Amino acid sequence: MAAVTQEKQYTPSLLSFFVYNPSFGPREGEEEKKILFYHPSEVEKNEKIRNVGLCEAIVQFTRTFCPTKPVKSLHTQKNRQFFFEPEDSFWIVMIVRNPMVEKPNKDGKPPTIEYQEEEVLDTVYGAVLRQCYSMYKLFNGTFGRAMEAGGVELLIPKLEKFFYRYLQTLHLQSCDLLDVFSGISFFPLDKMTYLKIQSFVNRVEENLRLVKYTAFLYNDQLIWSGLEQDDMRILYKYLTTSLFPRHSEPELAGRDCALRPEVSGNLLHYGRFLTGPANLKDPEAKFRFPRIFVHTEDGSEELHLIVYKAMSAAVCFMISASVELTRDFCERLDALVGPQLTLLASDICEQFTLNRRISGPDKEPQFKFIYFNHMNLAEKSTIHMRKTASVSLTSVHPDLMKILGDINCDFARVDEDEEVIVKAMTDYWVVGKKSDQRELYVILNQKNANLIEVNEEVKRLCATQFNNIFFLD
Amino acid sequence: MIFNSACTLTGLLKFRRYNKYNWDGNMERDNPQQEGAEELNICDQPTESPGAYADTLATSLSLLGNHMFPYHGEVVDRDGKTSVSTEDPAETLLPDPTAVERTPTLEAELNQKADTERQEPEDIDLSAQSDEVVLTEASEEFVVTMLARSKLEEQGVGTEGTSSLLSESIIEEAPPLQSHRDEDVTAESWRQHRKHVFVLSEAGKPIYSRYGSEEALSSTMGVMMALVSFVQSGDNMIRSVYSEEHTVVFLQKGPLVLVCVANSRQSEQQLRAELLYVYYQIISMLTQASIARIFEHKKNYDLRRLLAGSEKILDGLLDLVDWDPSFLLAAVHCLPLPSSLRDSLSQILQKAITPNLVFSILIAKNQLVTIVQEKTVIEDARLEPADVHLLLNLISASSAFQAGEIWTPICLPLFNPDCYFYAYISYLDPPECTVCLLLLSTDKEAFYAVAECKRRIEEAMVAQNSLSLIAKAQSYSVSQVGVSDLRHFMYKPFDVPDNHRQLTQFTSPEMEAPYSSDEEKMRLLDLYRYMHSRIHSSSRPLKLIYHVAERETLLAWVTSKFELYTCFSPLVTKACAITAITKLLRWIKKEEDRLFIRYPPKYSTTPNPSKSSRKSEQQDSTDNGFMSLL
Repeated sequence: MAAVTQEKQYTPSLLSFFVYNPSFGPREGEEEKKILFYHPSEVEKNEKIRNVGLCEAIVQFTRTFCPTKPVKSLHTQKNRQFFFEPEDSFWIVMIVRNPMVEKPNKDGKPPTIEYQEEEVLDTVYGAVLRQCYSMYKLFNGTFGRAMEAGGVELLIPKLEKFFYRYLQTLHLQSCDLLDVFSGISFFPLDKMTYLKIQSFVNRVEENLRLVKYTAFLYNDQLIWSGLEQDDMRILYKYLTTSLFPRHSEPELAGRDCALRPEVSGNLLHYGRFLTGPANLKDPEAKFRFPRIFVHTEDGSEELHLIVYKAMSAAVCFMISASVELTRDFCERLDALVGPQLTLLASDICEQFTLNRRISGPDKEPQFKFIYFNHMNLAEKSTIHMRKTASVSLTSVHPDLMKILGDINCDFARVDEDEEVIVKAMTDYWVVGKKSDQRELYVILNQKNANLIEVNEEVKRLCATQFNNIFFLD
Repeated sequence: MIFNSACTLTGLLKFRRYNKYNWDGNMERDNPQQEGAEELNICDQPTESPGAYADTLATSLSLLGNHMFPYHGEVVDRDGKTSVSTEDPAETLLPDPTAVERTPTLEAELNQKADTERQEPEDIDLSAQSDEVVLTEASEEFVVTMLARSKLEEQGVGTEGTSSLLSESIIEEAPPLQSHRDEDVTAESWRQHRKHVFVLSEAGKPIYSRYGSEEALSSTMGVMMALVSFVQSGDNMIRSVYSEEHTVVFLQKGPLVLVCVANSRQSEQQLRAELLYVYYQIISMLTQASIARIFEHKKNYDLRRLLAGSEKILDGLLDLVDWDPSFLLAAVHCLPLPSSLRDSLSQILQKAITPNLVFSILIAKNQLVTIVQEKTVIEDARLEPADVHLLLNLISASSAFQAGEIWTPICLPLFNPDCYFYAYISYLDPPECTVCLLLLSTDKEAFYAVAECKRRIEEAMVAQNSLSLIAKAQSYSVSQVGVSDLRHFMYKPFDVPDNHRQLTQFTSPEMEAPYSSDEEKMRLLDLYRYMHSRIHSSSRPLKLIYHVAERETLLAWVTSKFELYTCFSPLVTKACAITAITKLLRWIKKEEDRLFIRYPPKYSTTPNPSKSSRKSEQQDSTDNGFMSLL
């Protein structure tokens, strides 16, 4: 009986997601033609048209007040609707249902539902929506490109194929400030090891002339990239939230029981392809790699994406899509990269454990903070335990994460250096600092501290973690 | 208005597009096709598809159809029908099924007009006899209003620019429009306004727009209403729309829809609270009950007919909301006065009483000096700061009040949204007009008794030389606190003694350099608003915010005893700021008798305590004095 009387809490969830272009069905009765993708697809046609119609009306309405900057979000009692026009006249709309509490009523009455209207942060979900498009564009190029190549007939199946799967991986309940930054975590490294990696990349690019761009990661953190920042940002997102987690289990097994230790020459070889052929020895192996699109000066170029991994080190090789990749090429790559990368990976690992021993035993970080640098997209969080494809686990209460989001949103109001210290109702202290292009957020659990003590604590953190960065005091 | 068809909204938009071009206020209701054809770039005829879409068009046309009854026409009507019998206006609002379409609305109004007209000759008499109050059997409100007007004319002020809700409603010659009503609503300058406010009826009929005329904006408002009802049809409610520059906030109150379009970066919560003030100001003139009744009987009634001339009050309110933090803090700012002087003034008010007098309020320089309240009435409900704000705005927005005595029905929406008080308003120091006396009675007939109270108050104040003492009082400078880095603050205590049913107050010094220019003042107010929105966030409230930026450092702090906002120079250290606040709190404690109304006095005037205004006025609200004024 106790269970019946309990309140039920629902997290924010995806209600619908659609792509439309109002210029595709301008005439009365042709509204359906505007809709290029609609999730969930089983929604009745008229309902789809209605919802798209509302979006169009809202866009038009906001243009009355500023023709160049139309709507970004619509708030209603039950949901939030996010708008994004990534390409001329192409609109992507995402509708997120507000979190709600279901309170049971006595006497068999239907339960009362209370919508929590202020829980969804516009900045966070706006960023999630933009990320959806960036991810589509990474693998498919722009909408315009598909239109040029094959018109709506080509674009619609592309959208369906991509978003059908991608939307299932959206976990809206665990989106937070990190989605706004969409940054890259860099692996800290000493100069020598960094130079080793750079010379490795140069050697491979020298030997395999087909390789156009290379990116080097260790432990899911970036060390070197030849790509443009924005391309690397979304590729990094794909690698760390989708590709790597999918392959993490065999990897863990491989480290421990030496699943496939292979000796070529006198070198250990743990290398394997994460994209393309799973096993080179397999005569049936297919040499097909995912294609990605990156920026160039005059538009975009299409590339094969080869991701090759040895122990904790992963390298992405990008090769022009106009070239056909053969068994021969892959074998050469495997033979060249496999042993070297294995060696490099163990070097880095050694260096890493050495550094860790110096800096003290591994324990719960003393400070809970998030740092982001807009200039190089570097991001660091001691709040997030592990960011996987499915959930991002944080070590703090979601309300505190939302306060971070609020402060971030306030920083965006003015282009000035600022510092904000707030005390939450739970007596936690939250500190936000913005200096130049950098942002730092700290959560302090010293409930009885006063403003001055909190200030001292943050100073200490800055001295140990960011001693070369000046923050407004 | 509920849309059932998928195409309705787009349909409405299209309609809007061509509508914009040939709008002239006299659109033909039955011929949208023709209109559309005239428009060059209309590729599709919006009326081709039948059914619901056509319905929408028709609806939207009828929304806009109020222009079929242009105001100018009424003058003619009036002249022809001055002898229409004077029924109870409320009854005439009942729709007559057999009547031609325009009758229900117009008839009611004609009756009102007729009422008004009958008094016109007396108006002339009045101007002839000038100051002397002439009592006729007719409604005193009207007489007194006219008295005020005649005085104005006497002083050569003329009617231009002095349009109070009362005088303007009587002047039938199209009142001179304010320049911002003539604004081109397609111009960039119109879009650039910091804050637009629109009021419309559920049928989409324009009632008020802060900038640009309602006629020019009727299609925009039609779209607003369409958005509201479209979302509603999905069993949902529209709250707000965000774009990079603007926040659009919707508020539905009864049959009215209020919309704010702001680029002030204020929070949605704050903007909605401001819209609520606008709603309350309308209620204060018409009462909630009568608005509900009007729209019950005629959904597309044009409420502007009843609010004609009161735009200025709403304009004034919105200016105050932008510039006066009282609204943000939901607290009253009172004029700092030596407590002995305030006490003696309170005693004067306390002594000058008459049956059914409920509030005696003395105002100087648009700030509260003292307020005396009727005992039994405030046991029923407390006087909310918002009601006081509305009263203060009413007074400051109507320069016509500066002449003579005003007797006007007024509703205090938070006290009771359905009943009228009768307000006696008179300035005590003409021609400067800085000290204003406001006496509120529940008795419609009490004008002379209340005027007599005023006479006694005036006498006592002359005897005690109060006016010159009040004139000396002024806002204080932050330098008096004696803390070097402190630039400005706002302090709102919760622990005033006798807190029970006490009016929430706050104190704040003058804004001084570097906040002397309007631009800088507004910037500081915006910073306060930002701090306020975060600290009072409905979902994530905070206890304290310390904010360091390049131009100033701010601290906001909410405790169970008070709420404090302070502004320091940017280089203040945290330790200094904390010391400064300790000093500031000590200073306020020392000065509190001067800064606040500490023990608001009471009197007892209700002959029969059980018959408090809350109930007794309810049935009277149908005969809203406002209608009889029009």
